[in-house]
Amino acid sequence: MVTNVTNLSRSGLYDWMAQRVSAVVLAAYFIFLIGYLAAHPGIDYAQWHALFTNNAMRIFSLLALVALGAHAWVGMWTIATDYLTPMAFGKSATAIRFLFQAVCGVAMFAYFVWGVQILWGI
Amino acid sequence: MLYALGKSLGSEEGFAEVKACLTSPLAKLVTWGLLSGLLYHLVAGVRHLIMDMGGGETLEGGKLGSKIVIVISVVLIVLAGVWVW
Repeated sequence: MVTNVTNLSRSGLYDWMAQRVSAVVLAAYFIFLIGYLAAHPGIDYAQWHALFTNNAMRIFSLLALVALGAHAWVGMWTIATDYLTPMAFGKSATAIRFLFQAVCGVAMFAYFVWGVQILWGI
Repeated sequence: MLYALGKSLGSEEGFAEVKACLTSPLAKLVTWGLLSGLLYHLVAGVRHLIMDMGGGETLEGGKLGSKIVIVISVVLIVLAGVWVW
């Protein structure tokens, strides 16, 4: 048994919903992006740049990045609380799990800030 | 991937550099690998959503659904391979 103090919303139902909503956003984003690239085989810089300077695409991209952070957090939290347990690691399980979750959290925050810099820096 | 996105959007030279890098066989293999993982995750995720709505929740339905996921994923992964190469 591990404590659930680090879950996204302190509510399993809300986490469940956040995972599904972020999944739909990510599916829409990647299908769009793959479709766009498949439809423009010899894409050049001007087209690529124009796509991402479009404000709608910036909003869609940022939405996808936020969804990626939430989706990854729920997923990694689930893995951490399923496998990094006292049954597997004994007394140090809480420290190991907390460290793992901290690394995940920092990575997601860094990706978010980096993404904002890219999208609004061009 | 964010690095490649930033580089490809940052300048025309950066875009050409990323494009050239993606033509190497190793980069194509990595791209195909990433696409494969994404596609399988996507297809299995759609099955999750279908089951959330009550579809295929019997033992029979579960077995059939898992097979359908594998078949659709393999088809999409092969198509992705054709696209990348």
